Amino acid sequence: MKTNIKRMSGCVATANAVKLANVDVICSYPIRPYTGIMSELARMVADGELDAEFVLGEGEHGQLSVVYGASASGARAFTGSSGVGVTYAMEVYSPISGERLPLQMAIADRTLDPPGDFGSEHTDALCCRDQGWIQGWASSPQEALDLTLMYYRIGEDPRVLLPQYACQDGYFVSHILGDVDIPSQEQVDAFLPPYKNHHVLDTKDPVIIGPQMEPEMGPGTQYQRHLAVEGMYKVFEEVHEEFADVFGRKYDPWLEEYMTDDAESVIFLQGGHAETAKNVAKHLRNLGEKVGVVRLRTFRPFPTKQVRETLSKFKVVGVVDNSVNFGISCGAGVLLTEVRAALYNNDKKVETVGFVAGLGGAMITHDEFYKMFDVLKNVAKTGKNEKQSYWLPFEL
Amino acid sequence: MSIQNLFDEPGLKQITVWGRGVYENKEARDVVVALTEAASKEGKYIQAWENYVDLPDRIFVPVRAYGKISTEEIESRYVYENEAPDIVVLTEETLVKGINILSGIKPGAVLVINSKRSPEYLIKFIKENTENLSKIVTVDANSLSKSVITLSGAEGATDASGIGKGISAALVAAVVKGTEIVKFDNLLELIANKSVAKKAYDQTIVVDADSIQKKVFA
Amino acid sequence: MAVVPYERIPFAGTVPSPQKENEGMITGNWRTRRPIVDSEKCVKCQTCWINCPDACVNLNDDKPINFNLKYCKGCGICAEVCPAGAITLVPELDFEE
Repeated sequence: MKTNIKRMSGCVATANAVKLANVDVICSYPIRPYTGIMSELARMVADGELDAEFVLGEGEHGQLSVVYGASASGARAFTGSSGVGVTYAMEVYSPISGERLPLQMAIADRTLDPPGDFGSEHTDALCCRDQGWIQGWASSPQEALDLTLMYYRIGEDPRVLLPQYACQDGYFVSHILGDVDIPSQEQVDAFLPPYKNHHVLDTKDPVIIGPQMEPEMGPGTQYQRHLAVEGMYKVFEEVHEEFADVFGRKYDPWLEEYMTDDAESVIFLQGGHAETAKNVAKHLRNLGEKVGVVRLRTFRPFPTKQVRETLSKFKVVGVVDNSVNFGISCGAGVLLTEVRAALYNNDKKVETVGFVAGLGGAMITHDEFYKMFDVLKNVAKTGKNEKQSYWLPFEL
Repeated sequence: MSIQNLFDEPGLKQITVWGRGVYENKEARDVVVALTEAASKEGKYIQAWENYVDLPDRIFVPVRAYGKISTEEIESRYVYENEAPDIVVLTEETLVKGINILSGIKPGAVLVINSKRSPEYLIKFIKENTENLSKIVTVDANSLSKSVITLSGAEGATDASGIGKGISAALVAAVVKGTEIVKFDNLLELIANKSVAKKAYDQTIVVDADSIQKKVFA
Repeated sequence: MAVVPYERIPFAGTVPSPQKENEGMITGNWRTRRPIVDSEKCVKCQTCWINCPDACVNLNDDKPINFNLKYCKGCGICAEVCPAGAITLVPELDFEE
């Protein structure tokens, strides 16, 4: 397969994917770190490389409302945000999902205020996890490009028709350069058909999208969406097979495993920090330790069955949460709670330990992962877990 | 298990380039991009990025761009700054005064300055961390070319204006003369203003730091 | 890059606000040219004082004016607006301190 490898950051890779997907409407508003995507798209539109309507929003709430209307009129729409911008637009996420409009939002993570910190944390995107959107994290610029294309394909599939968050760690993935193989327009056209929806705002055939309802219609409306979400698992697997055929890159839709063959303790996480964890696991394997790394690729819909089956192979799992979820059950973060719920019905008990790390955008250093593996090794040996969760670097 | 030296990277060379906001932040970025791309042609593993917190839209604020060149795959990719530079480049001469530019330098480090003043005069302003400094290189890049001012390429977007049009062409030539970190011909293929680079290579002055420190602080 | 211990972070991240000068943001090292005043030509019209964006001109009742070099960024507005042409900008490295 011919390759076209260039060195670029996650932001520029996402912008290239948006250009290849031939998006019709883009709405922008600057906030670091995702703003590189919009600068690049603005340059492409100005130079004539991309034929799209580039709208300057008056705020993130305005951004989402603009693409909401655009998608309802039959246009393929794209927008994005970071940090507090994501929470500013919170009101509009549920209507977009409920009305089954498959637009895409790129989120390059940033901490929520206070303080005013540019560093990355998954909290901003995780705040929206229950809105009924597809969500997953890319861990390299190549994956950021692939994720954008795959999510448009999955979201616009007639069996799904749901919006998507294509997330990436701010600065670590969005600003640091990596090698990216940019596909050709023919490959993308073969993979991604044009956008069609059941209902489209058209003066010749008027429809009312999102009318007022009574409570007796409530359960049915939500159950209809729940069935669509449950049906998504099959679509994910089909699309990933198709992606491997057209582009030559094979991704497992749910989990990426690294050196897990006879591992006893593994680290479970999502996003860019998995790269550092893999380096540490490689060094520890050279010293004879039985360790591995499992990276979660898709957060919503959560692959309960696959997580349970994969993690039941190990003695102990260290779940790394790069977010703050104050007051949550088990005292760590969202991933720990979800992993424990997935392992609830497992025959054999798998010990899980929660680690909250990398808050505020601080790097999760090699030393910190090394200490985490050390804790897991003790738990695997003794079978006992004294402390449920550790907030790094103060409690470890 | 001991973590001493488990994550060491012996083949890694780190470059830190200082500039001033709006006037030289494109030039600083061009210096690291040109050097790392040339190293990549020679089969090395590279990384190039700008400091995330130095907001480059404020005029005159000191900003930094970083580069890494290594013989093996770089493991410490997700870092914000270069903790231990081997090469420090100043695109503007006043940066020697009042800023700790040599913090953390490794033994054998080389300092490159865009200035027409003598190295003996400039070293007087550097008050700390001069122990590991091995060479000082100066080149008068401002007389050969002008600094290009543009926001194209900021925030990681694609730079539409080309690499090496302004004073960065002279500076990378000076870096190569002082350190030989890449081959000069590989570098020339990448930069736009090749005649400036060649002239700068001839006009660069390389001075041993120990000899002038003994003279100045004697 | 070492993480700051949590005991050293002020309550809720609130810090006292600077009143006369901000010791946490000393910007004298942004300067590439230093303003120098010729006190023979200066008529103390206060035009430079009112135009300095950073309030770095000291009026000094009986003495000539001088500049607050801790914060002056060398923007050169004082030299542009002086009606007597008394202020010139000299490269910062010409001064050894």
